[in-house]
Amino acid sequence: MTEYSVVGKPLPRVDGIAKLTGQAKYTTDIVLPNMVYGKLLRSPLPHAKIVSIDISKAEKLAGVEAVITGKDTWGIRYGFVDTPTYPAEERPLAEDKVRFVGEAVAAVAAVDPDIAEDALDLIEVEYDPLPAVFDPEEAMKDGAPQIHGEITRTTSCAWEDWGVARKSHSYTPINNVAGRVLISYGDIEKGFAEADHIREDRFWSPATSHMAMEPHTIVASYDPFTGRLEVWLNHMAYELKRYWLHKTLGIPIQKIRVHQTYIGGAFGGKAVIFDFEVLAGFISRKLGKPVKIELTREEVFSSCRNSIRFDTTLKTGVKKDGTIVAQHVKVIVDAGAYKGSAAVAMFLSHQFSEPCFNRRNVRHEGVGVYTNKNFGFAKRGHGAPQNRFAVDSQIDMICEDLGLDPVEVILKNLRKKGDILPNGDKLESYGLPKCVQLVADAIDWKQKRGKQRDKNRGVGIGINGMFSGSGYWPFACAAIVRLNHDGTITLMEGDCEFGQGADTTYSQIAAEELGLPLEDVNLISGDSELCPMNYSNFLSGGMFVGGGAVWYAAHDLRQKILKVGSELLKVKMEDLDLKNRTVFIKAKPEKSLTFGEILRYNVQKHLGDPLIGMGYKKAVPEIEFYPSLSKGTGRFTDAYGLAAATAEVEVDRETGRTKVLKICIADDCGYEINPASIYGQMVSQAVMGMGDALLEEVIDEGGRVINPNLVDYEIPRAFDVPEIVILNGCDYEPKGPFGGKEAGECARAAVIPAIANAIYDAVGVRVHRVPITPEKLLNALKVREGKK
Amino acid sequence: MDIAKKILKVNVNGRPYELLIKPKTTLLQFLRNDLGLTGAKQACMDNSCGACTVIVDKMAVKACSVLALQVNGREVMTVEGLASRDGKLHPLQQAFLDYHAFQCGFCTPGKLMSSKAMLDENPHPNEEEIRRDMEGNLCRCTGYTQYIEAIKAVAQKKEVAK
Amino acid sequence: MRDFEYLPTKTVKEACALISQYKEEGKILAGGQSLITLLRQKLISPSYLIDIKGVTELDYLTFDEKKGLRMGALTTHRAIEKSPLIQSKYPVLSEMEKSVASVQTRNWGTIGGNLCSGDPIGDPAPSLIALNGKIKIVSSREEKIVPLAEFFTDYFTTILEPDEILTEIQLTPPVPHAGVVYMKFSTIEAGIKIVSTSTCIILESDKMTCRDARIVMSAVAPVPLIAKKAGELLIGKKINDDLIAEAAQLASGETNPTSDVHGSAEFRREIAKVLVRRAVKEAFEKAKRT
Repeated sequence: MTEYSVVGKPLPRVDGIAKLTGQAKYTTDIVLPNMVYGKLLRSPLPHAKIVSIDISKAEKLAGVEAVITGKDTWGIRYGFVDTPTYPAEERPLAEDKVRFVGEAVAAVAAVDPDIAEDALDLIEVEYDPLPAVFDPEEAMKDGAPQIHGEITRTTSCAWEDWGVARKSHSYTPINNVAGRVLISYGDIEKGFAEADHIREDRFWSPATSHMAMEPHTIVASYDPFTGRLEVWLNHMAYELKRYWLHKTLGIPIQKIRVHQTYIGGAFGGKAVIFDFEVLAGFISRKLGKPVKIELTREEVFSSCRNSIRFDTTLKTGVKKDGTIVAQHVKVIVDAGAYKGSAAVAMFLSHQFSEPCFNRRNVRHEGVGVYTNKNFGFAKRGHGAPQNRFAVDSQIDMICEDLGLDPVEVILKNLRKKGDILPNGDKLESYGLPKCVQLVADAIDWKQKRGKQRDKNRGVGIGINGMFSGSGYWPFACAAIVRLNHDGTITLMEGDCEFGQGADTTYSQIAAEELGLPLEDVNLISGDSELCPMNYSNFLSGGMFVGGGAVWYAAHDLRQKILKVGSELLKVKMEDLDLKNRTVFIKAKPEKSLTFGEILRYNVQKHLGDPLIGMGYKKAVPEIEFYPSLSKGTGRFTDAYGLAAATAEVEVDRETGRTKVLKICIADDCGYEINPASIYGQMVSQAVMGMGDALLEEVIDEGGRVINPNLVDYEIPRAFDVPEIVILNGCDYEPKGPFGGKEAGECARAAVIPAIANAIYDAVGVRVHRVPITPEKLLNALKVREGKK
Repeated sequence: MDIAKKILKVNVNGRPYELLIKPKTTLLQFLRNDLGLTGAKQACMDNSCGACTVIVDKMAVKACSVLALQVNGREVMTVEGLASRDGKLHPLQQAFLDYHAFQCGFCTPGKLMSSKAMLDENPHPNEEEIRRDMEGNLCRCTGYTQYIEAIKAVAQKKEVAK
Repeated sequence: MRDFEYLPTKTVKEACALISQYKEEGKILAGGQSLITLLRQKLISPSYLIDIKGVTELDYLTFDEKKGLRMGALTTHRAIEKSPLIQSKYPVLSEMEKSVASVQTRNWGTIGGNLCSGDPIGDPAPSLIALNGKIKIVSSREEKIVPLAEFFTDYFTTILEPDEILTEIQLTPPVPHAGVVYMKFSTIEAGIKIVSTSTCIILESDKMTCRDARIVMSAVAPVPLIAKKAGELLIGKKINDDLIAEAAQLASGETNPTSDVHGSAEFRREIAKVLVRRAVKEAFEKAKRT
């Protein structure tokens, strides 16, 4: 393997000094002259007609500059899914009625946040309560309260704007159905007929919070004289926010600038456009002043997106030896008051499964249902954690039924390197078998599995697959590398730094390609005005797509430098190499030119060309960038990230409390551009997955979130973290930058079933609903002992 | 009610300040809004996350849950005062950098201040003590492991030095 | 947060004068580790905040072999946790304090403030009650000593009159053959306590027979709960596993928990039973050793 000097090394992060000295600027740190502060009044009821809103008292409060209601923003629509069939139905402020507790009904801007908050108390809203429905199965019954009437758009939908010829039409949900998917291949009936053993089980995953440390915040500044809107906000790809600000406010897209800020964690929870972001832009334009809106932690829980609630019924048929011959997946997604990404998650839960097992005959049906609750979006793995909990738990149960070993059965059913999936995606890199073996060995599977119940200890395993970006519009990214006078480079790439390490790993890629040390890379990232198009920061497209664009841009510049070098040194390009800001003849390294000399020469000789490298990349090369999510057809990604996890737990049978003793993760991210960053991503997912398995659930009562704070919504803290072992299961990805692909999302979903299965191994009891809290596990133990 | 502002005299990062502030100003608001020291962050609003941790008279405290006027006459240190003026990182900052002990960085200033106060009081904590003492600092990105390792490294170096 | 007048004080006398002047309109601020959150959430909005954090005369820990421990109300949690005196004479207090919130909160928060907040999930109150603690209450009118067990009346409510200040906590000297244990149950290590108990077992000189037993629990009732029946069952009897199990069952029956996001009432009762059984057993073993 090639020896690299910058990639493959655990170099310190380039954002380190700023973040460690308190100098890193997050949106909350942005203060502009003349800035006012916005606050939102939110609905206390899950479903009600708005009879009237009296804002007169609030408007009179000294210091209040604006009070707006749904009358002002009537007709504005947005949403993550905005297709011809399913037009977007979210709105910045409720219009005729509210559909969930926490929906915004009015917004206030004032000279200080306390005055804005006081003004909220002065707004009088008269509601006429409507019957509400909180359970998706109830919501689908005839006679259930209908949450939406006709959903229609007054403008073109996003897909039309992005080049899909079909025009949108209105959609009227029947029995609250917000969307469906039906994906099938093979012959499911035949598959089950061939099976020696069939199981059907049902599993539930709740809404959980991304719980990024930084609560959502925006500063929006509209200049009435130029018509430009400048924003600082939390995002995961500025093109998405910019498009929707343009769409909702009617401001030309080129007049909207998203400024670079650091983002205090995202995990999927900051990708979409939110009510308060549209409102900040709206009020800023109305006042001609900058507006800052910082959400409270409670608003983040109650009014921003949480992960998606899945109810999965899984029927699987296997041969005696555990070979899967058929799988029928039925998903009911409790979408909440707006559809969010329900349909996407239902599809992804299928597609992320595809690189894992060869299931031969598959039917995957999903229905997303409106209920009067807060709605959901992607959270680190978008549908995979919910699905893997079900599938890998059931594999464990099947193994118990048939007296088989789960590791062996998993290995038997895995795909093979080079396999082409039913949708056409090809597994050119496939480290999953290696990952499974690594985590099994690391947990001492053979010695421990099934042998520690006397100590109430057990081990379990889970696996997962994940896109490296996908064919969502157009899921592409470009990068520019400039050569500077002193031989350093300036890299311009749009991905934002929300913790994943993009700034560092992209800089490493550019440096390696150009033979430079990391500190010779000057980085401009995350600014929509300074960077070329960027759409790669979610669905784990960062490294593969964004990093790929950087690689190509650096390569482009490399070729240009070599060409000039060849011209000056009078040797062939392939006889030259780059190192430490010089181009030199490989055979005679003393014969060299500095990059500065190359630049000066080229400007003089070639019409002022200062040598700029350009690169771009798309997650899927096919022109057809609208595969069908509802039918599961069409290509989605060029590379899948893969992971396996094992866990060892000890259960206190008297209290139901599970202590995780050890988590092992082996991950195939193609190639570790920065091993320390990869390690951090893996540990992060181990701990987040542990939270999912044991602790985390956004709980509502009558549609109201009753644990919207960090006291009542507990996440693992320093002392709860077990021994964690991270292993490298990489299989070189030929299309990735230096072989790299997805790393940040995949493993979380493998950890959840690993822990659930370990609990079963420890005490012989299975809880079908995560989180497996002490109370649930204790109840299950009692049921088994016949005490309940 | 018309509330008069009060004078706050406080030393922050080695410099004396004397400002008129509203009594309800929290220490966090004072540092961020009045002094422009934005390293300490607000993330939870109910004294549970530790992102706003600063040091008052050698003690780590959550600046969101202390009134600014309560530190009258005291010494406050924030993350901005951690590195030396000539730009040399504090050993903890260096270790956090070396160990990739942060990701999004939002809660990192709080963790640095908690760990500094801890090591100043107890230069050689074992891993359990570190984990216990860092319970007040929530983190969602790192899974805690790398920054516990960073703190351990500093603690062990101190041991070697002695 | 609403505006308020801020009134810093330096002496108990000064503080008493101010609080008797403003009564319900005023509120005493000590460490403020719960109070500031309540102010921010506008759950309380006093017009006058009387800050006693600077009353240094209330920050002390003294011990006398005859009188026992005297602890000023402004002693911080951290000071209690780290005090060599506490660690040697009342180690359970130091153990318990390690579980109070976080280091940052323990650094600034005070024992008096904690007790006065009247939060039934607080741990210091059960521990101090198990140690037979008394408190001194002072006002411009009078000064009185009250058993801590009688201090709490309901959720977040105490017997404290609007013009009174809690100034001191008093503990009797440790007795021989006594074992005191703090035990908690939470889903995560530093999480909300679903149940905790502080249990004190004092043995006769035979080191078998229970002379006194105080089993106190948090989070299972509107106030720190003293499991009287369970204690009475133990007193005068030779302690063994069956008796302990019976006491734990009784204690569980004495609880009056509510259901919340952290656990149902039924679950809390079950956990109370397990914890009390484990705590009594451990306290018994400890008592035998002393």
